[in-house]
Parts: sequence; C-alpha cells; structure tokens
Amino acid sequence: MRRETQNILLVLLGGALLKISFSGLYLRYVQKSLLPLLIAAGVIMIGLALFAIIRDVRRGKAADDGHEHSHSSRSTWLMLLPVLAVFLISPPALGGDVVNSAADTNQTQRSRNLLGELPSADVIPLSMTEFVTRTAWDESGTLDGRRVKLTGFLLRADGDTYVARLAISCCAADARPLKVRVTGDVPALPDEQWVEVTGKVVPKSANEKNSWVPSFTVESFTPVPEPVEPYES
Amino acid sequence: MTITGEIRSSKRRSGPPRLKITSLEVLCGILVLALLFQSRLVDLLDVPKLRTASTVFVAICVQAMPFLVLGVLISGAIAAFVPASALRKLLPSKTALAVPVAGVAGIALPGCECASVPVAKRLMQQGVAPAVALTFLLAAPAVNPIVLVSTAVAFNDTPMMVVARFVGSLLTAMVMGWLWVRFGKMEWIAERALAKLGDHSGQNKWAVFAESARHDLVDAGGFLVLGGLFAAAFKTFVPVAWMQTLGGQIVLGVIVMAFLAVILALCSEADAFVAVAFSALPLLPRLVFLVVGPAVDVKLIALQAGAFGKSFAFRFAPATFVVAILCAVATGVVLL
Repeated sequence: MRRETQNILLVLLGGALLKISFSGLYLRYVQKSLLPLLIAAGVIMIGLALFAIIRDVRRGKAADDGHEHSHSSRSTWLMLLPVLAVFLISPPALGGDVVNSAADTNQTQRSRNLLGELPSADVIPLSMTEFVTRTAWDESGTLDGRRVKLTGFLLRADGDTYVARLAISCCAADARPLKVRVTGDVPALPDEQWVEVTGKVVPKSANEKNSWVPSFTVESFTPVPEPVEPYES
Repeated sequence: MTITGEIRSSKRRSGPPRLKITSLEVLCGILVLALLFQSRLVDLLDVPKLRTASTVFVAICVQAMPFLVLGVLISGAIAAFVPASALRKLLPSKTALAVPVAGVAGIALPGCECASVPVAKRLMQQGVAPAVALTFLLAAPAVNPIVLVSTAVAFNDTPMMVVARFVGSLLTAMVMGWLWVRFGKMEWIAERALAKLGDHSGQNKWAVFAESARHDLVDAGGFLVLGGLFAAAFKTFVPVAWMQTLGGQIVLGVIVMAFLAVILALCSEADAFVAVAFSALPLLPRLVFLVVGPAVDVKLIALQAGAFGKSFAFRFAPATFVVAILCAVATGVVLL
C-alpha cells in the first residue's frame, strides 16, 4: 500500500474516533471514562499522518518505502472497516438480543452495592444495578413497600414482560444483562422501547430459581427516548 | 505495494488497461461505492444478531485503539531516544536472568495487551533477546497496576484473587521466557520483526519517533481490526450460555473458561468484571480465565501474527495457552 493511502486511512480512522467522541455516540461502545483517551488517540493518529504528509510534500515525492511495507500492506486495508462502520452504519447500542441470549442475568455482588439507607423521597430513582443487587442480597427488605423509579427498555419473552438494561465495565463486549419482570398494566409499546417505570418490588421475588430476576408491580409506564448513556456501569 | 490488490481491482473495473491503478484509487473507489450503497448496507445489517456483532466489533476496536496508540508511541520513543546500548546495560547480560527482570518491568506499562505487542517488537529490534521481549509481552498486560486495581474492585469479596492473578500471570510470562531460551528458534520469527532499524544517525530524533510510531500503527492497526472481527463473531455466534453450563465441573470448568478467555478477547482491564459475573463457577476456573485472557486471545494472536509472523504465532500461542492454564491452576491451588 502506498504511503499516501496509509496516511489517508489514518486520518479517516482518527476522524472516526473524534466523530464518535464529540457526538457522544462513543457511549454506545465504551465507558464514559475512556473519552479523554479516545480524543487523544484520534488527535495523535491524525497528527502522525499529517506529519508524514507534510514531510513528504516538503521533500518532494514521497520516499517509497514499499519494500518495508510489503508484508502487511493487505492487512492495513482492514483499518477501513471500523471507519465505514462508524461513518455509514453507526451500529446502535446493544439491546434485547444480548439480554435474551445471555446465560446469566442479574449477576451482582453482595458488598459492592449495599449502599446503606435509601433516601426518604416518595419516589426513589434507582439504577437497575442497585435495584437488582438489593433484591438479591438485602434480606432486611429495605425496598419493600417503597416506590421506585427504574429506567430500561421493554422486552417480552415467554409471555412475560421485562424491563432490561445492560451494564458495562469497559466496552460493550463485556456487557452484563440486568432485568426485572414487570406485572400490572403493561401498555402496548414495542419491544426495545425505552421506558421509565414507577412501582414497587414484590417482596422476596428474586431467588436462585429465577436467576435473581425480581418481580415489579408497575404503577406507571412512561416511554422515554434512549438515554445518552445507554449502559449502566 | 499491493500488487494482488491492484490486479484484482483492475479486473473488477473494466477501465482502459493502461490506466495505472494504485491503492489510492482503490481506496477512493471503495469509499464511493460504500457511500452509494449505504442504505443497502444498513438494511443488510438489520438482523438482531448482525447488529449485535457490528456493535461489539466497533466497541472492541474503539476500546483498543487508544491502547494501541499508547503502545506505538512508546515503541517510537524507544526507537528514537533509547539507544540499543542503554537497553543492554539495563538488563542482566545472561538471558535467563533477564527474563524475570522483564516480567517485573511489565508493571510499568499501564495498558492492555494491544499496547505491549508493538513495544515487545521494538525491544527485539533494538537487540533485546527474544525471550526477554516475549516475557515482557506476556507480563505487561496482566500485572500492571490498572489491571490489578480493576481486579481488586471486581473481586472485592475475595482479595486473594488479585494476588493469585499477579503471581499466575508473572509465572506464565517467565516460564514462557525460559522455555524460549531453551527451545525457541530464531527462524520462527519473521525476518522483518528482527530487522535492525535503518541508520537514523543525523536524522532529527523527533522525526524518527513520529515515523516509527506511524509505521507501527499502520502495521498493527489492521491486525487489531482482524482480531476484533473474530472476537465479535465468536462472542455473537458461539453459544456462550451453553459453554457456561458445561463449566460446572472443576476440570471441565477450567478448560471451558480457558477457551472462553481466548475467544472473547476481552481487554485485560475489563475481564475481571466478566469473571466475577460467572458466579456459578468456583474461583479456580475464573482465575484461569484471568490468567489466560491477557496472554492468549484471538485479538492478540492476530496482532502477534502481524508483528512476528504466522509461523511464530502458531507455535507461541498454543504453548502460551497450555503454560498459562498450568500456571494458573498451580497458583490457584496454592493461594485460593
């Protein structure tokens, strides 16, 4: 592959990283904390390519170092794939497919999220992670009778309706599904529609047999747009 | 030069035969075609499984790129600013003694496995013994502070897991280094990986730095994408759920988790969070997952094949796989 082509590929790839960074779309793929590194990587890629281009222009015709590149020139073409994926397809955040095909749901740790007392508000907004952790581990029943608000997407499977969400620790490849079975009046919304639900947990409904999926009696359903941060962390 | 690519593309386009088509024209052609058929492409991918795979693919690439960039910057800096003689002075002259030094030096590279491949390759080019560079390659992604801290956060109920991971990974790296001293053959490594750098004396050091970094990035980037493709395909189409149910028995569990570590190709900073979620399994198979993952996975095999050649990767990866399982089991039996 020619040096010029390599440089253009680097600019495109760096540009793709910057595009998802500044548009916020990176949150579909990786954790928020990666943002500075992403921007730095994009800037450095473009910088290295520009440096080479400027040097070549100054020296006249690019010094052909083809002999040095001959071995890997074909693999370099693959760098075009993420560029095309980002600019043309812009893959969506992971959703129901991952939740449905996962073996385990609601895998939480005992000590990680036992966050003590709940606030005394009338409606307590909770992350799915915290809600699920409390229903699985907290035997004192701090959630019982409390009105809670959860955010997730709708999912129907085997005649049941769930509100689900994914949590990631690094990138979407390590997504862990969390879900809550909802009962009560479920409006006719399509699958994967994002919703805010308010309601109360059915006490002691999460157990090992149902893979720690608690039941949730819903009082109100509000369709909402997909959150900027689709995943919990 | 991509001669084959040029021939193929000139066949595809029935232009006048004397028109010279270079990679630049091919690139423009691909971009135009992709733009023209964008909606067709999007429709084609509108199947849940394919959508998931494409998201995971982009996620793996996006997650790994910053660390690859970090790796090529370090590699470029070594090429430009660290003379080969300085490295020789730094390391014990006896290779067998330099191996543990390289393993411990891995603590200093805060990144995941993508960063360590270009650095290890550069070390070899600067005259460091392959066994030593390979030990560094295996140790760095597993024993650096960021990975250990994230392991501690994930396994905060079982702090021994952090110690066991550190010991198991360091052991794996050093055993592989010593095995290479004893059995390794230089001819397995592709010539280009060992080729000394051209004479840069008289050139601006910053220019050497930028050129080396750019060259390494272009070299490794494609292989990283290839690894991401494999990992996304495996993750989406291999029934991981079914594999996990097999993991109930301890022996089977160790083997299944070792293979899962290879095909999932998780970043070493994230794998602990996935391992902790396999809560149906005992700790030992999960330790195997954490020790094997940073040492061998599909993304890493692709990067190694790119850096050191196929005949190296096809020997080194299976050997590392076996050694990592054994080291992890030994460490786990003693510590957990």
